[in-house]
Amino acid sequence: MLKFVVRRLLLLVPILLGLSILVFVWIRALPGGPAQALLGERATRESVEQIERQYGLNKPIHVQYWSYLSTTARGDLGTSITTRRPVTDELKQRFPATIELTLAAMLFSLAFGIPLGFAAAKRYGTSLDHASLVFSLLGVSIPVFFLAILLKYVFAVKLGLLPTVGRISALLDIEHPTNFYLLDALLAGDLNAFWDVFKHLLLPAVALGSIPLAIIARITRAAVLDVQNEDYVRTARAKGLSPRVVDERHIFRNALLPIVTIIGLQAGLLLSGAVLTETVFAFPGMGTWLVDAIRARNFPVLQGGILFVSLVFVLVNLLVDVLYAVINPRIRVS
Amino acid sequence: MDLKPRKFVLLIAASALAFVLVAGGCGGDKKKSSSGGNGGELVFGTTADPVVLDPALVSDGESLRAADQMFEGLVTLKPGTTEVVAGLAKSWEADAAGTAWTFQLQDGVTFHDGTPFNADAVCFNFDRWYNFKGPFQAESATYYWQAVFGGFSDGKEESLYKSCEATDDSTAVITITKASSSFLGALALTNFTIASPDALAKYDADEGSVDEETGFKPTGTYGTEHPTGTGPFKFESWTRGDRLVMVKNDDYWGDKAKLDRLIFRPISDNAARLQALQNGEIQGYDLVEPQDVATIEGDSDLQILDRPAFNVGYVTINQKVKPFDQIEVRQAVAAGLDREAVVSQFYAGRGEVAKEFMPPSLEGYSDNVEEYTYDPAKAKSLLQKAGVTIPLKVDFWYPTDISRPYMPDPKRNFEAFAASLNKSGFKVVPHSAPWSPDYVGRVDEGTAGALNLIGWTGDYGDPDNFIGVFFQRPSSQWGFTNDEISNTLDKAESETDAAKRTELYMEANQEIMRFLPGVPYVHTKPAIAFNSNVEGYKTSPVSLEPFSLVSIG
Amino acid sequence: MSVAEAEAREVRLDAPSGLWSEAWRRLRRNPGAIVGFVLVAAFVTVAIFAPLIATHGPREQNLSLLQGSCCPGPSGSHFFGVDALGRDLFSRVVYGARFSLLIGVVSVAVGLSVGLLIGAVAGYLGGWIDSILMRLMDIMLSIPGLLLAIGIVAALGPGLTQIMIAVGATQVPIFARLLRGSILATREADYVLAARAVGVKRRSILVSHILPNSLSPVIVQGTLALATAIIDVAGLGFLGLGPQDPSTPEWGTMLTDTTRYLQTAPFLALIPGAAIVVSVLGFNLIGDGLREALDPRFRGRA
Repeated sequence: MLKFVVRRLLLLVPILLGLSILVFVWIRALPGGPAQALLGERATRESVEQIERQYGLNKPIHVQYWSYLSTTARGDLGTSITTRRPVTDELKQRFPATIELTLAAMLFSLAFGIPLGFAAAKRYGTSLDHASLVFSLLGVSIPVFFLAILLKYVFAVKLGLLPTVGRISALLDIEHPTNFYLLDALLAGDLNAFWDVFKHLLLPAVALGSIPLAIIARITRAAVLDVQNEDYVRTARAKGLSPRVVDERHIFRNALLPIVTIIGLQAGLLLSGAVLTETVFAFPGMGTWLVDAIRARNFPVLQGGILFVSLVFVLVNLLVDVLYAVINPRIRVS
Repeated sequence: MDLKPRKFVLLIAASALAFVLVAGGCGGDKKKSSSGGNGGELVFGTTADPVVLDPALVSDGESLRAADQMFEGLVTLKPGTTEVVAGLAKSWEADAAGTAWTFQLQDGVTFHDGTPFNADAVCFNFDRWYNFKGPFQAESATYYWQAVFGGFSDGKEESLYKSCEATDDSTAVITITKASSSFLGALALTNFTIASPDALAKYDADEGSVDEETGFKPTGTYGTEHPTGTGPFKFESWTRGDRLVMVKNDDYWGDKAKLDRLIFRPISDNAARLQALQNGEIQGYDLVEPQDVATIEGDSDLQILDRPAFNVGYVTINQKVKPFDQIEVRQAVAAGLDREAVVSQFYAGRGEVAKEFMPPSLEGYSDNVEEYTYDPAKAKSLLQKAGVTIPLKVDFWYPTDISRPYMPDPKRNFEAFAASLNKSGFKVVPHSAPWSPDYVGRVDEGTAGALNLIGWTGDYGDPDNFIGVFFQRPSSQWGFTNDEISNTLDKAESETDAAKRTELYMEANQEIMRFLPGVPYVHTKPAIAFNSNVEGYKTSPVSLEPFSLVSIG
Repeated sequence: MSVAEAEAREVRLDAPSGLWSEAWRRLRRNPGAIVGFVLVAAFVTVAIFAPLIATHGPREQNLSLLQGSCCPGPSGSHFFGVDALGRDLFSRVVYGARFSLLIGVVSVAVGLSVGLLIGAVAGYLGGWIDSILMRLMDIMLSIPGLLLAIGIVAALGPGLTQIMIAVGATQVPIFARLLRGSILATREADYVLAARAVGVKRRSILVSHILPNSLSPVIVQGTLALATAIIDVAGLGFLGLGPQDPSTPEWGTMLTDTTRYLQTAPFLALIPGAAIVVSVLGFNLIGDGLREALDPRFRGRA
């Protein structure tokens, strides 16, 4: 087991190196180039050259790459061009926001997706099954930003039930030691704030969670269908175990394997979806941060941000693989 | 866990219902926030975060809007006008040569950190700006200093500023190198407001390093955590992307602010700002889009305020691109743009068709300029006269990710103009780029096609700030040299007699519209929206608007 | 990426002979797939015959129709109302089918062909070439799909071709992994070993034995990828990275324009949005049906 984890961790090194090269080359392929980006609206040729000297952009490309790599390795991601703040500081604010959002979306999709899929499989071929299939197909067929717009239009604009933008009402003031606002509100013991943050989180999380919900329901259904005809399930039933015990001990546990796999794959999907959802709800997370950075050619943010997102993504997948190995008795034995 | 299917469905239905009910039950408290005659809090929806809260180092509207509430200059503008009135200086006079300006300062003024405001503080600030070095000399940082005063103490470029001397505690003498008719007015710019010398030093306002690897890094916390001026509001806290909180300055020397707290909340999306206002999450926002005007006017809980038209939206014609150096071709462009339709249909009654490059309210506006109307047939015949093949292919640029008062939806203006040009003997090739930095950079460099959409909002009430900026010197945006226009503008700028000056600017406007370097098409009245219980907001042509006058009824 | 990527692992097939005819038979009995075929057929028909169906030109403006700066809703002369430039929305949605179909098909073709090439080379040659190619694919997969597409568009500049390349690129690693996986599975199959034993050349084994038998998951994936591509293109359009010519009636771009009019004219967003959902649903239904039809695990069940 340990060997497996170490091996997988070592495999990350070439991936991250490759990724850093990719991001580095990409930044330099952007039209206008980084120096123009720094100076913005009123740049002159002379000041562009001055900035190029300051940032070392006139040096040979391998020297630039090496200095980029060494500063990054020291945890220094540079300074944002638009805000002139260290990228790591902004990351500390933006990253928890997106994680809070994606976790909420994931929880939502699991809480509803697994029971729905389970129910559909147990009632295979009934109208409930068909309804859940149609529902989940619709779920994967709606672009996440369109769903977000619809939800916002209905619940925020028309009904005025929920807030439209941001993470917390401007009038509320709580400390943000963790930048996970739900957690911050709890730490502050402020239930009012907790409720406010929750309301802000609700629509984005539902919009973002809808696609994973649909997929998880489908996967759960398929997995349960697969498992319930297996010999060990039949044996268990034949032994006279109660249906409930069979469901819990045999079917559900074994159906969990593909579900865990799919959760890992959802990470990328959620991060992609977060870009769009955050845009619709003006949610100050990684998604809006990176899209704004691309528009403004804010290359220190891009270099640091994309690398970080990818690192997290890769780690999540690793975690899922480990989890998979833990749950799967066959892998555990070998 | 009991996994009976029917129960699951029930559970799902029940929790969905519960969510709607619970959320609904607690959503009822919208708009209850911040009431009570005096005091109270106001949340204002801005378009973006400030860059930094050190007005000497910014040129973007949101940084200036925030700085305006916390900082004051020697002079200021009377709210709602472009008239220069006393600020931190009670009175002032220039010597006969017009180079030595003596400012009598207000007494008993203290900075937010408790240190006294005096002539030394004034000179400290002027000398700070004059002595900026290295990265601080980048135009993105000190654009307005360079626009008004030219160079810095290192002497690379000539500077209008010479020295500042504190003759006593409440008298500062500022010496400039030559007489200037716009010096005093320029001092009303937020960029030249006075900050606490103590705080500047204590929080390392000018500390930054130039790192070979990662470039300029501000290391001080002045501009992010400790901006310290004399204004009616004091800085409290700033969470990027979330809120900037300012509180009432109880020790303010003048009329104290009516609000206890003022919060700026950045919401970049225009539609989201309106929704936030309707939902009661904010009590006001800037840059109302034309299509939302009717919605706001129809809502008795909301109100809309106008700013005077002090801008111009225009189509640049770049004469470096052939055959646009021919006057007939430029006239064909003017005849091919359906400006009337665009202005009447897209601006919800808040725009007027522009005849020239500056708004009618300014001195020097001429009623007798050449006028051009939409006439596709005439455009085609002009093109034939110019001897070009019809249709004439033309690269036409427009910006994305931006909304400006003079073009709330640039793409929409572009599409309408492209269609009318295509009917007039042109074949438009569309190009777009994000506003900053790509688009504006391209327009300035003259690489944004033959035609592009752009515009201008005045910084202060002087024609020089419009046509002087555009046409006094040859520039790559326009790609032409016209001595007649340059000479007239030069004469106008140095003319000290007000009547003659106005005359000269009128003449310049006539020359410009005859020469037709581009096609101005709109002046708009920018709108700003508030909850109907917000009182006292005074709109200004140059958007210098003090929230200290605002109260919640 | 997204749905297709998520389900790639679910598809695992081997392809014994006789599969195709049986699959077709089962597909015809699947009501979902039938609905899918109907939707896609309607979509393709509208796309092909757009000029005959549309009542107005898709770029034909009539600014005088606008009221209070925006858009009158559906009426007898404009079935879906008019947009912010006075253009007939019905005609734009009809022409939009063309663009969505074109962009979807081309970008999947890009992703498919490059992905298959990489997958086939890696799977068949194996060894260090396989390792390098697959690590490259891992790197591409480690960037969330939409960000990758945005990045590519940012570097290449906006435009139809660039969007197709960007969306196609996000699908390359999925197809590459898929084909490699099924080639590895087929490589050791009896009929391949047999062919090798009688001295058939490597290349012709790949072309005539391995590829055809590895294709069925690719077909399923391809159908699902079409659905994903349409959604991704719309997403790029929504973020303002759509076609260079803004008057192009592309559904995603039409949605971007209209979110700012959501309060005054919600139909401007709802109608193109519904068009996307319906066409994507069609491809998803077919893909689903195909998967069940081709998957031996489902045999005899449906």
